[in-house]
Amino acid sequence: MRCLVFGFGYMGKIRCQVLQRHPAVREIIVVEPDVRVRARPEGAIPTSFLLPSDPIPWDTADAVFICTPNHLTTQLCVEALTRCGRVFCEKPPGRDWDDFCRIEEAARATPGHLLVFGFNHRMHPSVQSAKALIGRGGLGDILYMKGTYGKSGGMAYPQNWRAKPELAGGGILLDQGIHMLDLFQLFLGPLRPTDALLRDAFWGCGLEDNAFVLLQSEQGIPAFLHSSGTLWKHTFHLEIGCRDGYLIATGLLSKTGSYGRERLVIGKRQFEDETLALGNPREEIVHFDRDESWDREVSEFLAAIQERRPATHGTLEEAKRVMQIIRDVYAMAGRRLVQEPR
Amino acid sequence: MRSIETSVTFPLSSVKPLEGLSAYRAYCLDATRHAIAGGGRRRDRSPVSGARLEPFGIVEGLAYLRDPENGSLFLADLPDAEAWAGLLKRVVRFRHSPEAFHADLAQSRTDHVYAPKLEWIQETLRLQQMRRPRLLEVMTAPSRLTPLLVESRAFAEVLSVEEMALAHPTETASGAVVPAHAAVLLESLDRVDDPEALLRGVAHRLEDGGLLFVTALVASGFDLAVLGVQNRYLYPPDRANCFSVRGLEALIRRMGFVPLEVSTPGVLDVSVVHAHLAHEPSIPLSSFERQLMEADEEVRAAFQTFLQQQGFSSFARIVARRHA
Repeated sequence: MRCLVFGFGYMGKIRCQVLQRHPAVREIIVVEPDVRVRARPEGAIPTSFLLPSDPIPWDTADAVFICTPNHLTTQLCVEALTRCGRVFCEKPPGRDWDDFCRIEEAARATPGHLLVFGFNHRMHPSVQSAKALIGRGGLGDILYMKGTYGKSGGMAYPQNWRAKPELAGGGILLDQGIHMLDLFQLFLGPLRPTDALLRDAFWGCGLEDNAFVLLQSEQGIPAFLHSSGTLWKHTFHLEIGCRDGYLIATGLLSKTGSYGRERLVIGKRQFEDETLALGNPREEIVHFDRDESWDREVSEFLAAIQERRPATHGTLEEAKRVMQIIRDVYAMAGRRLVQEPR
Repeated sequence: MRSIETSVTFPLSSVKPLEGLSAYRAYCLDATRHAIAGGGRRRDRSPVSGARLEPFGIVEGLAYLRDPENGSLFLADLPDAEAWAGLLKRVVRFRHSPEAFHADLAQSRTDHVYAPKLEWIQETLRLQQMRRPRLLEVMTAPSRLTPLLVESRAFAEVLSVEEMALAHPTETASGAVVPAHAAVLLESLDRVDDPEALLRGVAHRLEDGGLLFVTALVASGFDLAVLGVQNRYLYPPDRANCFSVRGLEALIRRMGFVPLEVSTPGVLDVSVVHAHLAHEPSIPLSSFERQLMEADEEVRAAFQTFLQQQGFSSFARIVARRHA
């Protein structure tokens, strides 16, 4: 397969590395305006670089990967859908609801298209394991979910495109909280926000650096998200309370390892008849040492192309549900972003 | 690959009390000496790496050798397979007799030893999306696990097979069989005379992609590493092979399995050393080890957790998938 990759930043490099490992990939063409970042990824598959102003070989591309900053995503996604029809787009699916609607419109106008969005957290081993254990997997139905996902931004954050409203479209909720919202919906189905508080507490970029969102599933199951750009200790913490126990996924197997070792705590409900110390049930902690989420996500996308079938995850419908939540949260907060006095 | 730690705790005395071990251990050692006296073979090469084995130590007259490449320990002398099979059967019978400590602790051992293993198997099957598999239980009969497996109704069928029969199949027994989806070996590799042959036999009975569940006491774990041949839990035939975690994983890989989980969720290492020290205060320990043993319960518990997390406990669990 011949793959076109737009953008060679953090995500573009990861996608290229994954494509280098994929047995069906024969050629990678990267479109990147910054010639300074060009570096051939490790691997035997021929990789070449183009500037955006060069002729783009749309007609011979089997798959397009869009790994650009948010302000470029929508236009590229629409063009890629029209000219190739097989598109993998990093999250978020546009800067806002309007952007998303443009992508959706282009997708609906492209019969037989395949459009997948990069929600790789679903493929993380702790999440996959948690999914297998709830419900009839032993822990019973879900009572609630709580998620904290955050990072520290770093000294250069104010200069990053993520901190510029016109380029990013949203703050930490759109950038990182979107993953946690996607996970909530993976476990609970469609959610609607019931309350939200957004704050620009530290960075002062005009975008939320902390979002607190309360949600409810169609069955009334509550979920709470804290998405933060001021967690000086990088944190991923997902708690799932079930009728017969609980699961706590923490850490993420990321490239830098800054989120800590990925692990899943499995706790079983025990009352006084089973344990001496009520409220201190026995737990098992599963540690994971391999993140196959990137490979699995791309493999599934390329397999769907080869088998001419719909995608199984990261679908337009899933992206729509998560963008609806973000739209509603921003509307709920009325963009009345609470800014700290400086 | 995943590894697992656990917050479950139970006292050594509830599953294998050091003070209660004497009669069973003496029986095992006597029976092994008797079996070996009838002739047999000396192992000079490691079943794991093929490396020449080095002297390790003597357990009441029985020599143990060490694989220099991975630290696994092996009883040096073995009788022929038939005699070894007979020895394992005699030992199991004695284990179930009122003379051994196991009988008095039957319920406690079910709760703390076997039930958690069943839970481990069931949870792993769920994670691997395997529903009601046909399970091969590799054991020396009678097995206390068998009724738990059957009563759990988690398996379409439980096929219990003798370890030695699987390691040394006869012509008549090697006919076509329906392959199992999973196989469980609770310390079978520790006591079988030819662990490589046993794994080959298991692989033969497993379908492609089938799961292998293995538990073992490992020489790389804290209490075995610290106490060496003075560890009273190191005796044949139950511990004719005492692999290191690395050695066990290497053997399993070499026999065509891909590990999915390698864990040492043991809870008794510190208690075992502590009990040995209480029994024999002059046991040679480093000053650091002695400090640990004299520390309060909280420190000892934290250290046990560390052993679990870092793969240094002497109870190991491995889940592996047979290569498709």
